[in-house]
Amino acid sequence: MRVSYPYSELLPGCDALAATMGYASGEAPEPVTELIREVSAELVQFGEAKAEYIIFDSVRCDRVRKTVEVEGVEFSVKPIIFSQLRDAAAAALFICTAGPEVGERSRRSMSGGDLLRGYVYDVVGSEIAENAAERMQDSLRAAAAATGMNITNRFSPGYCGWDVAEQHKLFSFFPDNYCGITLTDSALMNPVKSVSGIIGLGNRVRHREYPCRNCSEMNCIYRRRFK
Amino acid sequence: MTELLERISACVEFGKVDIKSPYPPAMKDQEGAFELTRQALDAGIKPGEILEEALIPAMSRVGQKFSRNEIFVPQMLMAAKAMSSSMTHIKPYYLSGETKRRGTFIIGTVRGDLHDIGKNLVGMLIEGSGWEIIDLGVDVGTDKFAEAIEKHPGAVLGLSALLTTTMENMRKSVAELREKFPDLKILVGGAPVTEDFCRKIGADFYSPDPQGAVEYLKTLA
Repeated sequence: MRVSYPYSELLPGCDALAATMGYASGEAPEPVTELIREVSAELVQFGEAKAEYIIFDSVRCDRVRKTVEVEGVEFSVKPIIFSQLRDAAAAALFICTAGPEVGERSRRSMSGGDLLRGYVYDVVGSEIAENAAERMQDSLRAAAAATGMNITNRFSPGYCGWDVAEQHKLFSFFPDNYCGITLTDSALMNPVKSVSGIIGLGNRVRHREYPCRNCSEMNCIYRRRFK
Repeated sequence: MTELLERISACVEFGKVDIKSPYPPAMKDQEGAFELTRQALDAGIKPGEILEEALIPAMSRVGQKFSRNEIFVPQMLMAAKAMSSSMTHIKPYYLSGETKRRGTFIIGTVRGDLHDIGKNLVGMLIEGSGWEIIDLGVDVGTDKFAEAIEKHPGAVLGLSALLTTTMENMRKSVAELREKFPDLKILVGGAPVTEDFCRKIGADFYSPDPQGAVEYLKTLA
């Protein structure tokens, strides 16, 4: 299922973006809020995020090895993620991207010496990609509900202990350059403002609070996002 | 003279680049780091004095506030920009040899990794503490690091990685460089890097924040 969303529907408000940078409500300095508004107004003119998910009707979860097998491909998702996927009857693999433009603008600003603007593009780009993934997940949730199923949270390689190298296995389910996303040897997605991962479906799974308190990764963006 | 240095220091700390910068509001329409540094040099203050008594303490305060979560990345970038505007007047004195740097710091994001915001922040803070920065950019292989180290004998090296996959490349680079340059001091950093990992790969120092790197370098210079 392929979906696309205009940036105008994905851009968070100024306060929310400032919060992502660490600021309490109303406490971001004026040049930062000004720049957030300027960059948001600029991006809203042209951007569109793309997302795609594929549902696989059967998955095999190995409770000893903490692995999830989809069509013969075994994902070693590790205990935190496995605990949420273990009762899944089916799984959706997804990729989602804010597209190349926002990342390129960030790079151009940084290399041109305007580090603050480059940083703002970077933060806005990350939020656009995450919000697009959120919207795609909503759409999957509705599709699952129509068949009487629930969905889990979404989980990505590189987080909650899942080795980012397994991104290669995940991308093997999608045609090359799908949604314009390619993968480097080190499993870095290009465009960089992209999200990929797995979502479990079934009668015995549910969406839960993110299990950040069980994870040792203190600098994770999701720990900050879901705190 | 002291007052001028204090004003330069405040401009850097609070990100007041030049007279046109509207921020911070309390300094609106006042001269910024750019103009005041020029004035200080014209008044006969030595560039080294501006660096030691205004810029370095200012960036140190910025780094400490960042470590304590009192300010965030944008304010650090604003301070770095103000410092950079001041440095445009001071850099010629480095080139002429009249002012000495504390040392040379080579920095880069390891092979396979394209993230650079953290690396840039560390580089800026270290530059603000009086070091020359050789920024090799992102996706840097061991050969490129080695070439820079050979070109700058006595330099300290900083490696950054933001992915668990590229931490492996960090491990390889450290091992290969350690073999070639046994006395080289190597700092490592990045979101997935830990003290334990630093020890295991044989690097010399890890800090979870840029200020830690600045403090460590002070012990070397």
